[in-house]
Amino acid sequence: MSKLIGMDKLRNLLKSIKHAGGLRAAAYRLYRFNDLRWGQYVGEDKYGNKYYENKFFFMGRSRWVEYPPNVGTDYDASMVPAEWYGWLHYKTDNLPTKVPPVKYPWMLEHSPNTSGSNQAYFPYSTTRQKIEPWLPPHLRSQSGQA
Amino acid sequence: MTRCIQCTRCIRFASEVAGVDDLGTTGRGGDMQVGTYVEKMFASELSGNVIDICPVGALTSKPYAFTARPWETRKIESIDVLDAIGSNIVVTTRTGEVMRILPRMNEDINEEWISDKTRFAYDGLKRQRLTFPMVKDADGQLVPCDWEDALLVVSQKVKAAGGKVAAVAGGLCDAEALTAMKDLLNCLGSEAVCTEEIFPCDDMTGTDFRSNYLLNSTIARVEEADQILLVGTNPRFEAPLLNARIRKGWIHNEADVALIGKKVDLTYDYKHLGESGDILKELSVGKHPFWKTLQKATRPVVIVGSGILQRSDGPIILALAQALAEKLRQSSQGCTDVLTTTEIRLWCCTMDAMATVESNWRVLNVLHRVASQVAALDLGYKPGVDVIRKHPPKVLFLLGADENALTKQDIPKDTTVVYIGHHGDKGVEMADIVLPGAAYTEKQGTYVNTEGRAQQTLVAVTPPGMAREDWKIIRALSEIIGLRLPYETLKEVRERMREISPTLTRYGNAEEANYFKQALQLAQSLKGSLAPDSLSPRLLTLKDFYMTDSISRSSRIMARCVQAATQAMQSKY
Repeated sequence: MSKLIGMDKLRNLLKSIKHAGGLRAAAYRLYRFNDLRWGQYVGEDKYGNKYYENKFFFMGRSRWVEYPPNVGTDYDASMVPAEWYGWLHYKTDNLPTKVPPVKYPWMLEHSPNTSGSNQAYFPYSTTRQKIEPWLPPHLRSQSGQA
Repeated sequence: MTRCIQCTRCIRFASEVAGVDDLGTTGRGGDMQVGTYVEKMFASELSGNVIDICPVGALTSKPYAFTARPWETRKIESIDVLDAIGSNIVVTTRTGEVMRILPRMNEDINEEWISDKTRFAYDGLKRQRLTFPMVKDADGQLVPCDWEDALLVVSQKVKAAGGKVAAVAGGLCDAEALTAMKDLLNCLGSEAVCTEEIFPCDDMTGTDFRSNYLLNSTIARVEEADQILLVGTNPRFEAPLLNARIRKGWIHNEADVALIGKKVDLTYDYKHLGESGDILKELSVGKHPFWKTLQKATRPVVIVGSGILQRSDGPIILALAQALAEKLRQSSQGCTDVLTTTEIRLWCCTMDAMATVESNWRVLNVLHRVASQVAALDLGYKPGVDVIRKHPPKVLFLLGADENALTKQDIPKDTTVVYIGHHGDKGVEMADIVLPGAAYTEKQGTYVNTEGRAQQTLVAVTPPGMAREDWKIIRALSEIIGLRLPYETLKEVRERMREISPTLTRYGNAEEANYFKQALQLAQSLKGSLAPDSLSPRLLTLKDFYMTDSISRSSRIMARCVQAATQAMQSKY
């Protein structure tokens, strides 16, 4: 009956708001992630990303990540480290907290994509510069000029 | 394989025009080879011209060879500004880059030659360039910014200065920028517009009479002279093409040359009268033994180097040269009283032909070292920066001033220095705000050469990055300050220049200057004494010749030339 008049939708909404932590927080969460969901907290990585699961949603929507609050809306899928990537994308059901991934000394620290930031990678130009500009002394070392 | 067909044009050029007998042939018949006999440099300031006269391309330009084909390039006819001669050049460009510089025929100025600095210093146009405006931040570091920000900062400083503004113009400025700068400063209520190059300027001698600061007899007519007196100048390196003219007169016209000043290699024989200024004094009153020789000249020429006029006794030297020149002019025109009767008869025969020539023959000549000086003096700039030293400004504009005439020590600490120019050289190091301007290949600008001939450069390439033409920067600044200068186009600027001095826009025309007598009368009331120092020019040997301004100082080719010339001096050959 309650399903017929849509009471379950209302219940889910209330659950989502409760999961977000109040009406205000829910509004902020909606603003940040365009999404309101409730779910089971399953773990956190060392970068502060929190991972949730709710089998109520269909596969593909049932596992998700919530980025740390300090990044605001400036988040990026590449902030998910490799050990959580597998679980998040249904490659495995093993949580890295329960089954820790193999760690080799040659493995690099995870780093998010730097495109668009000032640390973005720019390949050096192979063409000769037509004009060599004069640069003030404090900028010379950055551009590789003597 | 060599393409040489042993025409020996280069050898003849070297020994006849450049006056350096370095090139020659070895071997006979099919084994004949052109070279310098031993491994050594073709030590001439005109060496590059052998590239142009080689009919087969056996001699090529080292920096340009095989970099471009002539049909790919655009040729723009322009003017050289690296010395005060104003040689006519062709700037060859490809893909927005200057590829080479060639001479352009102008019988009145450079004939078909150009100096090596003119020809090879163009790579300096691509290095150390200012390509964006910069303003000093709180840490005292120059930080790149937009034009709007930079001009706003300058206008705030200028408004706060309340008329305490000054400008120093360097040696590579065009007359348009000089006009705009002077107009702006005068609108702000300041008269402190100076040139970096010093020239005697007091009430007695100096810049009121145009004849005082021009090469009056003109470059072309120097070769007609029969007696040339050089005072404290080394024309070989200050103006190589004038030196080539003097040499031409010396060879073909039996001209005799005498020099007061440091003994230097001028590529022709001359009589060295000594180094002291007293000789000039004795000559001007007719006491020196050489006066007898000078007196006989019908077409005498006195060339004073602007370098020695920069000393504290510069006005006296100029006044003495004026007196000597006037004396010579009189003696050359009315020399019948010292001639014998046979000579009088000869004189009368030639009188008809010569009369017109002699009456407008000019004796006094000043040889300038930088391209902008004559235009600046025509516009009413004050030569030398003494005014600024005496009345320190709040805002100081450096218009391409790179010779360190003013240093940080000369101006108060709170003075804002605004540099407008094209190269990061000495001027930028003391600047608080940098506004990037255009070099001579990048703007249509007017330059007046040392003989008073107005010529214009044309745009060969666009100014790099955010750099703009200098007069446009000043015009934009004036609008932000709120004192809009009344010109928007080049044509209108030139109209304003024409208002100030019509000679500035009569392109190709060397306007004659007169009033020698009046100038001399003023100069005779001058008091003071000569300094005992020798009349020594600054450029003495070939290695001094190559790097004299911000463009040639940035040039790698010029740096290698200095290296080669230094090695050649140490070489035992």
